[in-house]
Amino acid sequence: MKRNHVHVITSQMMDKSFLADVMKMRGGKNVLDCIQCGICAGSCPAAWAMDFTPMQIVRMIHLGMKDTVLSSSTIWICASCYTCTTRCPRGIDIPLLMSALKTTAIREKIPARIEIKPKFHKSFADIVQKYGRIHEPELFLKITNKTDVRALMQNAALGWTLLRKGKLKLKAPKVNQKVQWSSLFANVAKEESK
Amino acid sequence: MKYAYFPGCSIHTTAQEYGISCNAVSRVLGIELIEIPEWNCCGAMDAVYAYNPLLSISLSARNLALAESMKMDVVTLCSACFFTLSRANKLLHEDSELKGKVDKLLNDAGLQYTGEVKIRHYLDVLLNDVGLENISKNVKVKLDGLKVAPYYGCMLIRPPNIVNFDDPEHPHSLDKIIEAIGGKNVDYIYKTRCCGASLGFTEGEVMMEMTSDLLLEAKNVEADCIAVPCPLCHFNMDAKQRSIESTFDVKIDMPIVFFTQLMGVAFGINPKELALNKNCVSTDKLFKRFHA
Amino acid sequence: MKQEPKIGVYICRCGCDVEGNISATVDVEKVKESAASINGVKIAEVYEYVCSNPGQQMIRDGIKEHGLNRIVVAACSPRMHLETFKRNVKQEGLNPYLLEIANIREQCSWIHDDKKLATFKAIDLVGRAVERARILKPLEEKAVKVNRDALVIGGGIAGINASVELADKGYQVYLVEKGPSIGGHMAQLGKTFPTLDCSSCILTPKMVYVAQHPLIKIISLSEVTKVEGAPGNFKITIRKHPRCVDASKCTACGECAKKCPVTVKNEFEVGLDQRKAIYQPFRQAVPSAYSIDKEHCLYFTKGVCKVCQKFCKANSIDFTQQEETLELNVGAIVVSTGYEILDPMGVKQYSYGLHPDIVTHLQFERLLVQGLHKPSNGEQPKKIAFILCVGSRMVENVNENDYCEYCCNIGCMNAIKEAYVFQKEVPDAEPWVFYTDIRAHGKGYEEFYARLRNHGVRFVRGRAAEVMPHNGHLRVRAADTLLGMPIEEDFDMVVLSSGLVPSSGTENLARMVGIHTGSDGFILERHHKLRPVDTQREGIYACGCALGPKDIRETITESMAVASQVATFLGKGEVSVTPEVAVIDEEKCNGCEECLKICPARAVEKVPSTFRTRMEINPMSCTGCGICVPVCLKDAIDLNHCTEDQLMAQIRGVEVKDDVSPKIVAFIEKNTAYASADLAGQTRAHYGTNIRIISVPSTGRVGFKHLLQAFAHGADGVMFVEGEDSVFTGERLREHVARLKKDLQACGIESLRLVSTTITIPQYPKMVDTFEVFTNRVSKIGPLSSKVRSEIEKKLKKGESK
Repeated sequence: MKRNHVHVITSQMMDKSFLADVMKMRGGKNVLDCIQCGICAGSCPAAWAMDFTPMQIVRMIHLGMKDTVLSSSTIWICASCYTCTTRCPRGIDIPLLMSALKTTAIREKIPARIEIKPKFHKSFADIVQKYGRIHEPELFLKITNKTDVRALMQNAALGWTLLRKGKLKLKAPKVNQKVQWSSLFANVAKEESK
Repeated sequence: MKYAYFPGCSIHTTAQEYGISCNAVSRVLGIELIEIPEWNCCGAMDAVYAYNPLLSISLSARNLALAESMKMDVVTLCSACFFTLSRANKLLHEDSELKGKVDKLLNDAGLQYTGEVKIRHYLDVLLNDVGLENISKNVKVKLDGLKVAPYYGCMLIRPPNIVNFDDPEHPHSLDKIIEAIGGKNVDYIYKTRCCGASLGFTEGEVMMEMTSDLLLEAKNVEADCIAVPCPLCHFNMDAKQRSIESTFDVKIDMPIVFFTQLMGVAFGINPKELALNKNCVSTDKLFKRFHA
Repeated sequence: MKQEPKIGVYICRCGCDVEGNISATVDVEKVKESAASINGVKIAEVYEYVCSNPGQQMIRDGIKEHGLNRIVVAACSPRMHLETFKRNVKQEGLNPYLLEIANIREQCSWIHDDKKLATFKAIDLVGRAVERARILKPLEEKAVKVNRDALVIGGGIAGINASVELADKGYQVYLVEKGPSIGGHMAQLGKTFPTLDCSSCILTPKMVYVAQHPLIKIISLSEVTKVEGAPGNFKITIRKHPRCVDASKCTACGECAKKCPVTVKNEFEVGLDQRKAIYQPFRQAVPSAYSIDKEHCLYFTKGVCKVCQKFCKANSIDFTQQEETLELNVGAIVVSTGYEILDPMGVKQYSYGLHPDIVTHLQFERLLVQGLHKPSNGEQPKKIAFILCVGSRMVENVNENDYCEYCCNIGCMNAIKEAYVFQKEVPDAEPWVFYTDIRAHGKGYEEFYARLRNHGVRFVRGRAAEVMPHNGHLRVRAADTLLGMPIEEDFDMVVLSSGLVPSSGTENLARMVGIHTGSDGFILERHHKLRPVDTQREGIYACGCALGPKDIRETITESMAVASQVATFLGKGEVSVTPEVAVIDEEKCNGCEECLKICPARAVEKVPSTFRTRMEINPMSCTGCGICVPVCLKDAIDLNHCTEDQLMAQIRGVEVKDDVSPKIVAFIEKNTAYASADLAGQTRAHYGTNIRIISVPSTGRVGFKHLLQAFAHGADGVMFVEGEDSVFTGERLREHVARLKKDLQACGIESLRLVSTTITIPQYPKMVDTFEVFTNRVSKIGPLSSKVRSEIEKKLKKGESK
């Protein structure tokens, strides 16, 4: 059964501006169209691992339960498989909405209730920004929990297999056109800070 | 048949066998894939997008700008790249404010994108430009009832308003290719079920549970192998197979091949040129019977 | 002989002294003074209650003693007592169309507080009424004989029952049906909810009654191809397809079908079974005669066989039968074309078409009637999943397939009933129902639902996500949203409650008949609540699922309502045609057809004459909206009782020495919008006295020259208020206003001085707001300069206003 730390919903938990904010997010424009039919929850291949189903997250958005939504594991477990949106009778782009909620959670520095690695996204973006393409060894290093011995060992074994087969390049990739590159990213950063 | 080729990051690293076998097959079929010079990461779907949406779309846009100057359709092997570039393209078409921002970023870097690029997956090229008949013509080795579980994954077929390639619930493109090369498709109900994708990095156990469902079902229906069109699905099912076996204490031992590798075998191409030895779960006993 | 107008003005206090509803705010004595001073006004009187007997007597005395030939009543809204006043003047021998009412209560005294300003406004309104009254012309209502026969299109239960009701009332009914038999979808159903009556048992007696009724003629295998004429006198053209069987001889013995070598998918069994090329759709068909499917019959496709004819003992088979064209004259038409099932192939996740045991609810009905078995292997199913809302209640989706935005109305109850019948037939049956919401709105529905819950029907609250054929079973996946957990289960069969859509051809039929369909594709009723079975055209009605999906009880109710409407329309044998219709001056008409294109009521007819084609307006069809008047480039059209002269005079009004600014003339559509304005008064809303309302049949009646007239004579701004349900709304109104704005700009008048809005009756606060906002806007622009005004007046005089 799901862990649920909300015992009674009160108006103190309902932040109307959160609903308005979500409706301005990409993917959130038609979130009020949801009739809570549950086809997304029924379609989601990862729903069993989430603390709230996608349908419940949308319901909580309707009620303005900002904290619960942004600290849920749901938004991090969504794999963007799009099975839900393909069947949603209101055409709601749930994965895009989940991405936007992730972005919000990262920006507002809200930690997920269950240990998830939001730093995966930051690490990925930083590495791509550095080299123009992903560099798997660096990514693995950044996101591996160094205290989980079992995972560490499994990853080491895997890393060795890949290395042997030549599928792990220790040398970082290089995209030339440094000028184009740095100006593009400098400008993105500028645009973001606006 | 010339195309602007967008390999995607994993083609040169964890999914080398895909790129290598694709090159071999393309040579036989007369497909010329011209790699987009100095291409960058596609925008990595959710991986970058969740952290910085504008960065993700700009990454996609740079690739599209580079491709546009080549004046050819863009072809990609990786389903995730296929989806990411298609979605960015759609957003740029629909959101004029976004396009304005991105245009400015591109212009400052000396690039421009007017929106005329068509993005396609390699499967699309095989089916619609080469044609099943031509594929069958090149079959030199009888696959002799090889039972293949055709796996589509997610981004290749969903959602239909972004990727618009095959039926999102009952796709048949890969099935048709497998039949054309003499393989036998098994009735695989999880052909469109998600493997977990990038959850493999953030929530390993969740991904493994999802992928184990796919692997066990393929075993259930007695498939000899699973054919996949995406590097990330391949990684989760192949590279992570041993971890899954040990975590859930099951024996799977299911070879996971890229469909281009399968095609290569049917075309009688030298196994070295198909990088069959690079798959983590050995393909030896699978293909030994076909080697000339 | 031109009669000199002798106008009498009667002003009501609507109460006593200065406490009346009108006199409390409007100084009626001043109004009387001002009215009396207008040229042509012979007498002006004030009275407490002009509508009362003494008040009415006063008017009659005035007509008798002073020879009055025009009456102006300044009182409450004409929607209150217009008919009373009309009858009153008629009594004294004055044509009732020579009467004009000025609304100085709902649209004046009840709105305003300032006595001085309200009085000025009342003086203005009365002045305009007088100027209009001066030019009113006597008009006569015409009585037109109507044909007392009725046409019913569609032979399902709606059409059948409407025919029965009408025939029992004594009307001759022609019942046209597309297929070889009447009965519709109801004939395909097994038990009906919630009473579990057998559908055929209640339908077939009605079908037999229809067949035997002397006043009902069934025209089967036929379609309506043309509808001409006017309400009360329609001319219908019907195409009758050949049955190739002489219905008078056929005994329906079935020998022919036994011998026929061709098998085809059986439509009645919804594809679950086969029929022959010569067939009877079902045993209780009416007409019972067999018919030949020419598309598949070997004789018609390849010129061979004819085995059926060999074995027909009644010698009824006739391969030479030809298509026939029939012409009928009827007075009224009833559209009862019913519905179809949405093809669930488009809702791909349910795998319809990929496994024979995944069926629609209609197919399941047939299986229940035949003896429930799995289509795949004939075995009895033990576990069935009923999936509701398939293709329904969808607003948008990323696949580009057909879907229904609306609720199908019967899916929930139908599935519950089917689950019940399934349980009765199969021991240890396990029905599951996957629903989004259970809609059990009708009589006895909730009780039926409750009973079934106790019977062990398992309900899962969650729209089913997918159906996957797997290992001989059908795996259904859904989320139990009440628990927040996914649920997965294997079933023997899956029944999809598919959405209901209008019968194919509804759109074309509507266009042919001249009525409208709504955005959902169903026939659009005239008014959602007050006229639910009428269409926009007089004499044409609709009932049953042609109007929208519904259950049998509601269908029967609507069919009875339609019969009542038809009877009211045709009952007296004649209808009185209002004279307030548009008329074309045949000398001026050049046959350009602009009026034909724009008329929303199909009232314009082409009349070929010696030298050229010209247009004529059928007064029976004309609804008097006046939209045709300004579009005529030859000024050949005028509208009775709202003629160009009358309108121009009313707009000009009289000179009133009020300082009110800016002055806004508001043209208000006389039904819905006017009622809304009255409601504003009834609820004592407030707006400025600068708003001067002129009632028009439709704002489409108002053209550029009327705008110029308004501006020339004191207006600083002009408003259009149109009823949202009127025929002149939406795109048409926007285009009209856009063109007028351009014309204004070209004349040196700011286009912002014209604004338009649409309104429903309860939306009067929106009207009040718009008055205020527009007043502010025009204030900012400032009053129109007298220079511009005199320029405009010159233009008008020259006739340069087109």
